[in-house]
Amino acid sequence: MSSEIGSPRQEAWRRFKRDRVAVFFLGLFISYFAVAVIAQLLEFYQGSPFLYELTLSEQGYPIAESATPPSLVTWQSWFGTTSAGKSVLLRVFHGTKVAFVVGTCGALVSVLIGMTLGLVAGFIGGWVDEAVVYIYSTVASIPYLLLMLALAFIVRQGPIAETYRSLFISEYVSLGLFNIVVVIGLTSWVTLCRLIRAEVKKVKQLDYVHAARALGYSRRRIMFVHILPNVFHLVIINFSLTFVTAIKSEVILTFLGVGVDREPSWGQMIAGAKSELMQGIWWPLLASGLLLFLLTLSVNYVGDALRDALDPRLKH
Amino acid sequence: MTRFLIRRILYAIPVLLGVALITLWLFHVAGGDPVAVKLGKNPDPAEVEALRQQLGLHDSFFWQYLNFLKQLVTFDFGTSWSDNTPVRQIFARGLIPTLTVSLPAFTLGSLIAIALSLLVAMKRGTLIDRFTTAAAIAGISVSSLIYILVGQWLLADQWKLFPIWGYEYGPRAVYFVALPILIWIVLSVGTDVRYFRTVTLEEIGKDYVRTARAKGLSETRILFVHVLRNSAIPIITRLTIAIPFLFTGSFLLEIFFGIPGLGSTLYTAITSSDLPVVKAFTMLGAVLYVCFNILADLLYALVDPRIGLQ
Repeated sequence: MSSEIGSPRQEAWRRFKRDRVAVFFLGLFISYFAVAVIAQLLEFYQGSPFLYELTLSEQGYPIAESATPPSLVTWQSWFGTTSAGKSVLLRVFHGTKVAFVVGTCGALVSVLIGMTLGLVAGFIGGWVDEAVVYIYSTVASIPYLLLMLALAFIVRQGPIAETYRSLFISEYVSLGLFNIVVVIGLTSWVTLCRLIRAEVKKVKQLDYVHAARALGYSRRRIMFVHILPNVFHLVIINFSLTFVTAIKSEVILTFLGVGVDREPSWGQMIAGAKSELMQGIWWPLLASGLLLFLLTLSVNYVGDALRDALDPRLKH
Repeated sequence: MTRFLIRRILYAIPVLLGVALITLWLFHVAGGDPVAVKLGKNPDPAEVEALRQQLGLHDSFFWQYLNFLKQLVTFDFGTSWSDNTPVRQIFARGLIPTLTVSLPAFTLGSLIAIALSLLVAMKRGTLIDRFTTAAAIAGISVSSLIYILVGQWLLADQWKLFPIWGYEYGPRAVYFVALPILIWIVLSVGTDVRYFRTVTLEEIGKDYVRTARAKGLSETRILFVHVLRNSAIPIITRLTIAIPFLFTGSFLLEIFFGIPGLGSTLYTAITSSDLPVVKAFTMLGAVLYVCFNILADLLYALVDPRIGLQ
């Protein structure tokens, strides 16, 4: 045992650091994040047409305008080319950015809804609590994939797409991306809401909350300043889970034809592999699948380690 | 017991009413005008009028809602927009193919996962445990689409062990569903093992296990008789709640392997905006989900008498 005892956060970090594999995966995740940021910056800086839209022969390299396996002609051909002769490497590079946008925004929307509703329901109780429980039981009763697919189709064609077009984000985010973020956000908040509500019900009985009430603090202040930090580990863990779900859902929704459409994404490359594999073109699937796998694995692993580190009670 | 059941059922009613409201709102309001969806951009005004009449769209939303509830109670969801078959018949048609894939896959997959997690719990801390846990976390990190794509390509296309696509009714179905079942098991085992392992480990740390060990019982007996019985509650709950999803089947597997089950039917219905079918599916899915949740609670109480049926 170390002699000094730090703040809970330092203690958690110390516990986390003990797991070397977790630290490695955290590093991997940070590298992914860096790649995504660079891809986004390049996109701003470079402007249209993006390099990934051009075939390698258009760029002056001696590479056929068809699918070619990985080669060392230029760094762009390291992962081979697509059936149109475009660089697979550039496309998975851009796909990393798409994955981060989908994962981060989807998880953010979902966590914000789940956290706020859970906090309010657990703390205020009474009819507010009953209403929130009713809403999430209802949403949870609709089969998940069905709700997701139905929403995906509806958001694309109905008044929601109109609203999207009038928003300023429509210049930066394609409808496909927006669609996925909305769908993930609206369908995956229930778990967190349930957990937070249950935890808040316990925490609000603690003495320090009674003390805060006695001091006459407002309900909003007690909820967000005093209780939220004590249930925040749930939010962090759930964020990582939803991040992964969102990225995996992008693949499935894009395959089903309601996902990302205007730009290259991992989902698109994996979906395209259905016909490519039969022709012996395996490299787009390998590149996108492997990147998706390593990202998912690192978030899953770090998520597990975080859960153990942040909530020592869970350790058996 | 009866009081518990009645209470749970009474609580389920408002939830189902809510599901019906969301479903109807999604498809009749949020999704835009259903008539435009069916007839396209420049429809014939007479047709539009006829369809509006048929769908009851002139009525207020409240009346449409009541009408939808009537359909639900009488189990008469009208006819499909794409080929005018009654929705009920579409269900009957898709049920068998879906269940021939999902039932064996679910049963085998759960048994394998339970056995594996007991094994892992028994060998806790050894290489087997660490390998299985690592394999499980790696396994759940691969996109389900990749399992299906690679499985179909490798086992059916390259090695020709299974057919790539299609389905036949009767005993020959085995030939067509074998590969989808195999992939389903691979898809589900990782998540299940992770869950069951946690449950089993929680039990293994308890006092009664130490007592049993002190009595000199064999590890196998402790595990399969004592621990399994006590971890049965969370396992049963999880399995019961999963049952409704056997009816919807796996969209992706059914689409990839051309199995004419409920999953692929639903997918076609959604892509072709076949509203009556989609609405009916959503509602029935929710009804099943709610029913099996009640059943899970009931089993929970039956398995563990300490949990009162209040």
